[in-house]
Order: sequence, then C-alpha cells, then structure tokens
Amino acid sequence: MIPLRALVRKEITVLFGSPMAWLTLTGVSLVTALLFFDHLRLYNQILFLYASSNMGGFETDTVPVYVNLRDQVFLPVMETLALTLIGLVPLVTMRVFSEERSRGTDELLATTLLTPNQIVLGKFLATYLFVLLMLGLSFVYPATSVVRAGLGLPHLLAVYVGLFGLGIALASVGLACSAFSSNQLLAAISAYAVAFVLYDFRWTSSFAPETAAQVLDALSLHPRFGAFAEGLVRLGDLAYFAGYGLVAFALARFSLEQARVR
Amino acid sequence: MRGLALVGMIAIAFGLGSYYTTESLGGFAVANLAAGAVALLAAPVAAVARGARRAGAPTGRGRLLPRAVWVVFALAAAVALERCAQHTELQADWTAERRFELAPATRQALAELPGAVTATLYFEDFDPRVRRTRLLLETLEENAAALRVRQRRLAESALEADRYEVTRSNSVVLVLDGTFETVENPTEGSLYEALRRLGRRDETLLYVARGEGEGDFSSVEPIGYSGLGAALHAEGYRLRELVLAAASAVPEDAAGLLVVGPERPLRDATLTALADYLSGGGRLVVLLDPGRETGLEALLGAWGFELPDAVVIDPASGPVEGDAAGLNPILFTYAEHPVVRGLDSRRMLFLLRARPVLPTRKPAPQDDLAGVAFTSGRAWLTEQVRAAERGLLPAPPPDATRQHFPLAAAGRYPRDGVEARIVVFGDSDFASNRYLRALYNLDVVLNAVHWATQREEQITLRPKTLTPHQFPLTPQDSLRMFYGVGLVIPEGCLIAAALIWLRRRSA
Repeated sequence: MIPLRALVRKEITVLFGSPMAWLTLTGVSLVTALLFFDHLRLYNQILFLYASSNMGGFETDTVPVYVNLRDQVFLPVMETLALTLIGLVPLVTMRVFSEERSRGTDELLATTLLTPNQIVLGKFLATYLFVLLMLGLSFVYPATSVVRAGLGLPHLLAVYVGLFGLGIALASVGLACSAFSSNQLLAAISAYAVAFVLYDFRWTSSFAPETAAQVLDALSLHPRFGAFAEGLVRLGDLAYFAGYGLVAFALARFSLEQARVR
Repeated sequence: MRGLALVGMIAIAFGLGSYYTTESLGGFAVANLAAGAVALLAAPVAAVARGARRAGAPTGRGRLLPRAVWVVFALAAAVALERCAQHTELQADWTAERRFELAPATRQALAELPGAVTATLYFEDFDPRVRRTRLLLETLEENAAALRVRQRRLAESALEADRYEVTRSNSVVLVLDGTFETVENPTEGSLYEALRRLGRRDETLLYVARGEGEGDFSSVEPIGYSGLGAALHAEGYRLRELVLAAASAVPEDAAGLLVVGPERPLRDATLTALADYLSGGGRLVVLLDPGRETGLEALLGAWGFELPDAVVIDPASGPVEGDAAGLNPILFTYAEHPVVRGLDSRRMLFLLRARPVLPTRKPAPQDDLAGVAFTSGRAWLTEQVRAAERGLLPAPPPDATRQHFPLAAAGRYPRDGVEARIVVFGDSDFASNRYLRALYNLDVVLNAVHWATQREEQITLRPKTLTPHQFPLTPQDSLRMFYGVGLVIPEGCLIAAALIWLRRRSA
C-alpha cells in the first residue's frame, strides 16, 4: 500500500505542478460563477415581471410554481456544469498515461516495486481525487440554493454524487484514451469525442426501434446524471458509473501490457 | 486506425452538434452520424489486425490474450453489475419534499386499479420538465403490477394526441378499458386523482346543502369550494345540491349531507328535517363559522356538541395570512380517531378564525363522541368575534382559561340497528379553494366525509406538492457574492496557473 500511496501523491503533485490543472480549476469555478449569475439575472427579471404585472408583490399565488430558484437557477446551472465537465476533464486526463509514454518514463515506472495493476490504480485514484476537488470548487453557489431556495442538503448531495459519478465516468474515458496514445492532444480529442457520443443517445429514438432506443438510452450518461439532479439516488445508476471505471481500468491495463510486449 | 477513429469521432461530433443546434435530425446530421459510425466500427477492426501483426511472436500474443480476455470480462462484469443493481430497484429519494416517495393514497390507488392501465407520456425533445415526469412514472410503475408506462413524441403521435386531447408537451394520458384521463403538468397528486377517477366503478351520492349562504361548490374563486367538489368527485362521490329552504326531508338515497358555512338561520322545518334524518341514522358533516347563528348549534347540541359563539386564539400559532399571531390556529394535536388517522405533529391543519367544537356529553351510553383535532394548550377563547373577523387580536381576559380546545369533533350514535354519524368543524374557510390544499386540510375534510359515510377503507393521506421558494435573490446580494466569491476563486486559480507556467518556463 505504501508504494501505491506514494504513486498517488506523486501523481497529484505532478497534476498541481502543471498550469493545465489550475486552468481547469479556473474554468470550472469561472463557468459556474458566470452561469449562476446569468441564470440568477434572468430569474430575477422573470420574477419581477410577474410580481409587477400581477401587482401582487411576491405572493405565492401570483407567480407560477415553476418560477423558483431551484428550477430556474440551480438545476440549469448543474446541468451545464455536467456538460462543462466533458470539456474540462479530458484536459486533466490527457497527460496521465501519454506523457509518461512520450517521455519514456513509463519504463522507469515499470522497474519500481509497483505492480502494473497498482500503477494503473494509482493514476486512476489520483485523477478521481482531482475531479472531486474540482467539483468542490463549484460548491459555493449551489450552497446558496440550499439556504435560499429551500433545496435541502440531501438533494444538493444527490446532485454532487451524480456529478462525481459523471466525473468518474468521464475521467475513466479520458484515462482509457490516454492509455492508448502517446500524443496528449490525440488523447484529449478522442476522449472528447467518446464522451460527447456517450453523453446522450436521445437523438437515436426518432429513428431507432423502441427497444434499441431504450438500450441506447440506458447507455447514455446524461439520463443517469438526470436522476441524481432530480434528487433520486439509484443503485443502478451508481453501478453504471462504477462500470466505466472497471472497463477503463481493464483497458488501461491492457494498454500497459501491450506497451511491454512491444 | 487512429485516422479512422479520429475521422469517425469528428463526423459524429459534427452530426450530434448539428442535431443539438437545430433540434432536428437533418440530412447533414444523418450523413455525418452514419459516416462516423462506419469509421468507428472500422477502426477497431484495423486496430486488431495491426495489433496482431505488431505482437509478432506467439509469446507476445500469448501475453496479450489474457489481458484482452480481462477487458471483455470487465465489460461483462460492468453490465452484469449494472443490471443486477437496476433489478434491485433500490433508490433513495433525497428531495426536500420526498417527491419520489409515494403517498399512502397513491399506493392504495395503484393497488386498487381494476385492470391494466397504460400511462403514456407525450413530450417534445428538449422539454426540461419531462425528465421529472419520467422518473415519477417509473416510480409509479415500480409500485404497480397493473401499470405500464410508455413514451411518445408529440410530433410523431399527432393523431393519438388529438384523440386524447393532449395539447402540450409533458402530458400524461392514463387509459383503462377505453376510458382515459389526460393530465397536463403531472405531479403525484394530479396522477393520483386521475387514477382514482379512472378506477372508479360506483359512486356515492352526497348531498350538499344550499340556500342559506353556504359555500358554493361551482365557484372557482378563492372563497369558492370547487376544489373540494373536484376532490370529492375524484374520491368517488357524486354531488347533488339540496336546497334546504325547499326540502321537507333529506332524500333517502343520500349517503350523507355536507353543510359548509351557512350564513343565515335555517328554517324550523329544515331543522326538523335534519333532526329526523339524523334520528334515522343520517350522516352529517358540518363546517360552522363563528359569528353566525344558524340554528344548527342547537340541533348539534342535542347530539352532544357544544358550539360557543367565540373565536379560539392560539398564541402557539404565528402570524399567518397577514393576521395577528394566534388568530389563525395551526393544529398539530390529534386524538386517536379515523378522521385524523395518519396525522401527527409534523402533519398539520390550518384553520382561520375558528370556533371551538366541544364534545360535552354523550346522548346515550353506547354513543361515541370525541374531539379529534386540538389547539395547543396555550389557547384561549374570545367572544369578540367581530373584532377577530377584522383581524384584530383582543387582549386575553385576566381569567381566561388556557387549554387544548377541540376545533373538530366527531360522534357516532348506534340506534336500533342504524348508526348516525356526525363530524363538526369550527371553521369553513379552511376547506375553501384558497386553503384546501394547505398542509393537510384536504385530507381531513375528505377523511371526515369518508368516515361519516362509512367508507373508512378510503381514509388515507394524499400526495402533497411543495411550492418551492419563489423569493428573489436581490441584485445587491448577487453582486456581493459575485465579487466576493464568484471572482476570487477563479482569480486565485489563474494566478497559480500563471506562476507555475513562469516557473516552469524559467527552469
């Protein structure tokens, strides 16, 4: 366990020693802030419009039920944050394996006490921890929703469990892509493409047979996150996100073996 | 291989981008998606062929094969894990209002479905409300063997939508044996009522008193009672008006009589008719406001209820509806009685300027008479009814008795093989359109009617919809947060990125 811990620590140090990680954190916090305030501005406009046109102030029966902080501000911001993760997570994962391969340090790593499984596990754990930190930075505004929108802490927690699950799935895709390429740019682009395709298969339901559309829907990332966003934590969805990690781990391990054979 | 994969991914990305931008699957999107799929399928084939060539020696292939098997195994394990987890149907509802935990009434309605029901969700793409409805329908389906859920795009099911009078996205149509109920903007509550209407086989005839200023069941105004009428209809009651001034007797086919807030005194003949009705095992539910002398007070007195013309002031209740604290009592203390079954200190009632309903004496030993819903122990009575009606809070007299006052009471009177039942509430406004769906008001009124008409199996707690907070976050608050936190965190991260970049550059 000690070598594994050392590898995780080294990976995190390397991550924070690169400007890209900080730029990613900047992106997440800035995007969340701008989105939050833009939605809030629109929400306030709508609310004042209703309040003034009804001349009833903010009486609960003068404003339609759907005009509320939760539905107009919090949930759309979380949805967009989920989409933002597609853009940002591959920037973090692209270098994890490819950089080692392009520099040739992967061979050096293979000579340490670590087994190939531990090497892959260490890199996965470090990346997942970074995703967790990234989400932590975006927590400030949703916390406002708990206080002001009566959302409730458990619901907020459910959304963040969903975001973390989504982040793990996206990071797993990115890590698998990184494991198969020595070019960081290629790793990032392929991770974008795979994530973008897997994000939502809703478009297939207009021409695919109903059963096929249902299967494709079950494969999509977005509907799985959607349940969490609505405050529903389902074991099936958690297992779905965990499945990404499992498959990506096996793929990365396969890639490592492939490199050793070469 | 990489080239193929890259081309495939770019084509798919552009195809999807076109779809999401135009919100339609045009020729450009289809061509890109098809080309992308072909390229992506060809890429792994090329990769496998290339890998086999690269692995070269059989020993290399021998080392790679187990790893490839592990990949397939991991994929199979992930699918199996997800399927098993999905099959357990384990889920936790973490919403503040427990939106996906079905109310007892909904579970009961689902269990009592008389046949197979199909619930069809009609939707348009990119309607954000659909996801919530879909999850709600899935939850309903998991709790009912007789319910099947399907989904249809509005644009592709125009004829079907027209037949079921669906006019907008996010509508649900429930169909049972050719009859249907269309629910727009579905919530658990509206679906529950639709299921009840759909599953109804026989109706109970309930008479509603009119003619002496009683509540109007056809009025949709806030002071009207159309909401109560619709809820009673959904629960299986057919309402028929009974003009008290013209009635010499309560009709024999009446399962019960509902008297809601009469304003004027009832005629002697009417009171005699009501007394006869009760003596013959009648079922009466009365909502009586303070400050009105209707004659019912004396009639109910004969059945053990004392109704002082006073208003209860309960200091434990805060200022509600702009009135002084205590004028509009919030009740959370209940007796063990079917009318208030399921209600507890967290499931409250909200009344407006109510009079006490005191169950003082049983007319016969075998009778059962009890208060069912009470104020807090700090409540006191004032006889200054007019002042209270104007929203003024009189000062408590020095000798005021503070105690739990019952604001609703119920009695059953078995006599010669028949049983009369009476439920009395000391307020009628709490059942008006404006307040019916506040807290558990609807439940207690419907359950009182169910109990009085001896349909006790229908007593339940119905789904609740919580209205989320709708107050603005002021621009000042927003800006303070934006400058205080919104920009500080990204700025700090950007500074760190710049410093690291400079350090690495100079190294």
